[in-house]
Amino acid sequence: MNMTAGETEKKCFIEEIPDETMVIGKYRTQLWDKQSGSFLPATPGLGMHVEIKDPDTKIILSRQYGSDGRFTFTSHTPGEHQICLHSNSTKMALFAGGKLRVHLDIQVGEHTNNYPEIAAKDKLTELQLRVRQLLDQVEQIQKEQNYQRYREERFRMTSESTNQRVLWWSITQTLILIITGIWQMKHLKSFFEAKKLV
Amino acid sequence: MTPVRRFLCAWLVSFPLAWDSCGVQAAFSQAMDSDFTLNLPAGRKECFYQTMKRDASLEIEYQVLDGAGLDVDFSIFSPSGQLLFNDQRKSDGVHTVETEDGDYMFCFDNTFSTVSDKLVFFELILDNMDTDEDPENWKEYVHGIDTLDMKLEDIMDTINNVKARLSKSVQIQTLLRAFEARDRNIQESNFERVNFWSVVNLVVMVMVSGVQVYLVRSLFEDKKKIRT
Repeated sequence: MNMTAGETEKKCFIEEIPDETMVIGKYRTQLWDKQSGSFLPATPGLGMHVEIKDPDTKIILSRQYGSDGRFTFTSHTPGEHQICLHSNSTKMALFAGGKLRVHLDIQVGEHTNNYPEIAAKDKLTELQLRVRQLLDQVEQIQKEQNYQRYREERFRMTSESTNQRVLWWSITQTLILIITGIWQMKHLKSFFEAKKLV
Repeated sequence: MTPVRRFLCAWLVSFPLAWDSCGVQAAFSQAMDSDFTLNLPAGRKECFYQTMKRDASLEIEYQVLDGAGLDVDFSIFSPSGQLLFNDQRKSDGVHTVETEDGDYMFCFDNTFSTVSDKLVFFELILDNMDTDEDPENWKEYVHGIDTLDMKLEDIMDTINNVKARLSKSVQIQTLLRAFEARDRNIQESNFERVNFWSVVNLVVMVMVSGVQVYLVRSLFEDKKKIRT
């Protein structure tokens, strides 16, 4: 997937992930060349600043990378993590056009595993490797499902709280309305009596 | 490197999803599905591109998770600039495109909204994007002897089957996550709305009753003054 980014324009993506999940993000940048009317393959000196925030909006990664970069982080709390990229250079204005194309790929969970590496390290046969991959996949699904259960519980609590509040506020408002009405009547009655109109 | 591998490497490099040099350790598997969630500010249009090969298929599924009316404009353009699909103010949608060579562009448009930001989730599912290198890669790096070749084939088939189904499970899970996130956002905004308007209602009621009493009293006091 690629996208176009302007100079110092911040592009943010949100990833909702369970805890203890590894996320690998890879990007590649290309600069628009007005002369050739296409994107240049490599742009030295152009860097991207990557900033990752956890669900409590605390910054867990804030680093500068080159024109091609790879960043990794592991989530410690489940929730919405925000991944932001922006180019740091102001030199782009010198290059005609000032458009930057960013290829981005974000892999979460078991997709981050490098199976050829694992096979070589643990000396697995092909069968063992495939089974290992399946096990990782199932583990990831299970983790996601647990997280889903936790979110659904939070959702249910919010719903029930809203329901309760609607009921409670309606009753309170009706009571206040009645009390105010009674007070008004009493006050006006005593007022008119005082003014000898009744 | 064998010539076949070198050729595959050269081809892989042209993919935006697999730019890394085909070094022994650095080759990474092609992501067939990828999903992204982004915040689309009010009055903005965001466009994304996906490079495709011919005779592959691109499926794009999107949902609006948060933000006022939960709707967004969506459009997808072929590499030649032709408009393929256009959705106006939809809350979610799915489109499949049989692709040709080139960059497909798809855009999310929130320009009709002046105040509210939209949280948009979209998923790209690529099919038939050339998976030949996959077994090639794996066979390179495994050690050990696989005896009973015939039986192994069957086991491999079953495993591939299971893997495909698990991938589908993951896709469905991602979808469910998006639905749940959207429902949760709706509920949370309901909650805040109920709180806010209840307090406003209360304050208005009390104020109005006070004002009424004061007005009626003032009416009579004036008359009294006129009489005397």
